Amino acid sequence: MTKILVAEDDKLISNSLCDALTTEGFDATPAYDGEEAVAKAKELIPDLVLLDIMMPKLDGISVLWELKADPSTAHVPVVVSTNIGDVETISKIIEAGAVDYLLKSDQSVDDIIQKVKDVLNRTVKLG
Amino acid sequence: MIVNILLYIDFLMLAVVVSAYIYSSMRERKYLKQEANQSLELQQKVYQAQVLKEISERIGYSLNTNKIVDIITSSLGSLLQYDTVAYMVLEEGGKVVFKCQVENTVNHEFIDEVKQKMLLSYEAILNTKIQTSGIDESITGNILDDAAKVRVRSYFNLPVVISGKLVGLINVASKEIGRYGDEQASVLYTITNQAATTVSKLQSVLKSEKGKLEAVIYSLTDGVITVDLNNQLGVYNPVIKKILDIPEDKILTMFDIVDGLAGKVDLRTKIEQSLAQNKSITLPEVILKDKALELTISPVKDDENQIIATSVVFHDITTEKTLDKTRQEFTAMMVHELRAPLTAVRWSSESLLKNLSAAAGTDPAKIKDTVITIETASNNMLELVNDLLDVAKIEAGKFDLNAQEYDLVELINEQAKAFRPQAETKHLAINVIGPPKFKMKFDRVRVGQVMGNLLSNSIKYTDSGQLDINLSVDEKEKLAIVSIKDTGIGVSREDLGQLFSKFKQLRGSEHARKGTGLGLVVTKGIVEAHGGRIWAESAGENLGSTFYFSLPIK
Repeated sequence: MTKILVAEDDKLISNSLCDALTTEGFDATPAYDGEEAVAKAKELIPDLVLLDIMMPKLDGISVLWELKADPSTAHVPVVVSTNIGDVETISKIIEAGAVDYLLKSDQSVDDIIQKVKDVLNRTVKLG
Repeated sequence: MIVNILLYIDFLMLAVVVSAYIYSSMRERKYLKQEANQSLELQQKVYQAQVLKEISERIGYSLNTNKIVDIITSSLGSLLQYDTVAYMVLEEGGKVVFKCQVENTVNHEFIDEVKQKMLLSYEAILNTKIQTSGIDESITGNILDDAAKVRVRSYFNLPVVISGKLVGLINVASKEIGRYGDEQASVLYTITNQAATTVSKLQSVLKSEKGKLEAVIYSLTDGVITVDLNNQLGVYNPVIKKILDIPEDKILTMFDIVDGLAGKVDLRTKIEQSLAQNKSITLPEVILKDKALELTISPVKDDENQIIATSVVFHDITTEKTLDKTRQEFTAMMVHELRAPLTAVRWSSESLLKNLSAAAGTDPAKIKDTVITIETASNNMLELVNDLLDVAKIEAGKFDLNAQEYDLVELINEQAKAFRPQAETKHLAINVIGPPKFKMKFDRVRVGQVMGNLLSNSIKYTDSGQLDINLSVDEKEKLAIVSIKDTGIGVSREDLGQLFSKFKQLRGSEHARKGTGLGLVVTKGIVEAHGGRIWAESAGENLGSTFYFSLPIK
């Protein structure tokens, strides 16, 4: 089963996201802060990480840097999901090595599921 | 403009007072004649007025010593008859300038005699010897003819006094005996006296204007400097030292200014640009180590529109920039905090719709979970919006209270009871200490909100231990004081003062918890609307905190 790590500090959002992913047949695991996200990513080596930016303990960009710096997780595609829409943050996200980003409030659950599927297909083909 | 005038005035420091000392080669005379001919007097008045006008027009605003003496000297021709008119000025540094205008042909001896008489008079007034070797001499006008048999037979010497100090002598001389009688003495005396008065008035006006302008520049909150055309620092005010972090007692040079800007601005080039384009240049944001500055570079012109210097105004915009950044951060945080529950509502309702339309096989337990998520998210959002509205009301001073007599202890117990389930999930006990009953006037809903906010905060920031709510009554000060003491992460000394500020949410990376920090702003607003006070104490991080609020007993 395709493993997806959902790094999201807001429990409500995390719940609805994990629900939707599970319904679609993915194995979704929540992480509620940046440190937990890094630890779980290294432990699970997921197929994809959905990463929030504003998180306690360690922000999303730092999580991204840590994942990219570690050879065991460097290949894992990271889709950043955030509500911070400013250009500066987005360019920082892309620079740090995220494959894609999405603005949570602009997307429906279906959009996110679709994006997850697209990224996974692309990665598989490239791999 | 101010700098312009100031610079200009800078050159015009000195007073000129002309008073007359009249000598005659024949004998000493009385100055004023009692029975002056009426028509002659009128004629004299017209002359005087004309000469004065001419003098003041030519002097303009320039109070340069040599120039003034020169102007007065050359204006006397229309008033008096003479063969030579001369002035002698003792410049600073001891140099003597002697200038003689020859009206009618005389010989060298005549000029030398005039010079000697002036030197003697000068020495007599100063009571010192003047070095005659270094005299800067110039003779203009008619040709000199040594064959002419002429001698100085009558003359006047007029001392010119500047700021109480003799700076020059004016001399008129004639080859005729008795040329200068009482009439001429009187005219000359009046003319010089009036010129002196005019110049004195001008000087005092300029001095007071300069004083005002200096006061203005010195009291400006912006740093101001002027740079002359040789790139030397001219005027500057004390603020500039503060802005550029230069010690207060240092005497500034252009180097200090350039150094203070730490290579962030090529001031010299910008000054050149401003001069070349003949217009002001503004550098909206010059970021130094810990300051943001706005620089305005402008050419300084004199009254003839000639550029004489450049002014640079240093406006410190650090506070505005910081405030701007804080406001942006606050807005970003609010947007994030509002979008999060909205997103949850949206996604959950989407899932719900999908599940409901999936005909059979819908799990009622799952539907219930989703609806609970929607409910919680909506409540969170409503709370946030209410907080925002409250903050707006508090800031606008339109916070209305509905104060009635209630039992404060009862309210505390109610709130403690409401929060116990939440506290128990973290194994925290809530204890209430105080009298069994205490009736006073307050807004029950609002004070309940204060208790709720403080309790919810304490629970959020405490992972183990307990919460103690204490009510004490200060009969003397007529205050009810409620404290909520926790065993949580505490507050650092520097953060204590900012706890209740709208733009400050303590987001230490280690201890970050959800929340906008607006709750405490609202809490403070409610307490203060009651006439009370709110404050927090903490021994430091991880040593717990105690929040207090007082309500006046009415």
